[in-house]
Amino acid sequence: MEFFTTFKITGSGLSAQRKKMDVISSNIANVTTTSTPEGGPYKRKMMSFASDPLEKGFDLDLKDAVNAVKVGQVTDEKEGFKKVFDPAHPDADKDGFVTLPNVNLMLEMTDLITASRAYEANATAFDAMKNMALKAMDIGK
Amino acid sequence: MTDDFLIRSSVDPLKPLTGIEPKKAEGDKSTEGVSFGSVLKDAITDINKLQNDADKAIAKVQLEDAGSIHDAMIALEKAGISFQVMMQVRNKILDAYQEVMRMSV
Repeated sequence: MEFFTTFKITGSGLSAQRKKMDVISSNIANVTTTSTPEGGPYKRKMMSFASDPLEKGFDLDLKDAVNAVKVGQVTDEKEGFKKVFDPAHPDADKDGFVTLPNVNLMLEMTDLITASRAYEANATAFDAMKNMALKAMDIGK
Repeated sequence: MTDDFLIRSSVDPLKPLTGIEPKKAEGDKSTEGVSFGSVLKDAITDINKLQNDADKAIAKVQLEDAGSIHDAMIALEKAGISFQVMMQVRNKILDAYQEVMRMSV
């Protein structure tokens, strides 16, 4: 059925925002992590989205117009580490400085709100499409 | 009298429509001879598949800790709406049947 296209697109949006939430919560959880398996402090993860053209399952008029969304890439932010003098810290370097992660908690909170609102928006679009489908069934009653 | 004549001659008589013919739907021939029963049966099979998909999606969320909640909900809604469409079609068929049965002979 053709309205399943909308379901597919909103579904991809929901998945993408949920993955974004995973990345954000990883950043928040590691806000004070000073050691990682690859060495050094935790590096803030950044995620980008990419459009995902739908191949089939919708009207011919919209063939090239409609895109779902997918996760583009997850990269590490390389700059913005803070050094704190703490010689007693197990991860302190020979001069007694500890490098803290480049996670800005306020930035993560705004990203979190954006992701959660975007998730809600996708869910609302889904509900709207469902209501349209149900309304269509009321025709002639 | 003359006015009447003038109006009549200036208005072109209506011509029968020629260029327009009912457009035949694509694949018209393939649907010929397919009974309504088999169409309905196919629809029910499709809906059954959607219901099974929804079941699988829920099982995935609850058992394997792998699926996402929204995927399960979307599968459920798909199954639900398809089922409702099928019920509407069934109601219409029953209405038509009862209408025929009420016909006085």
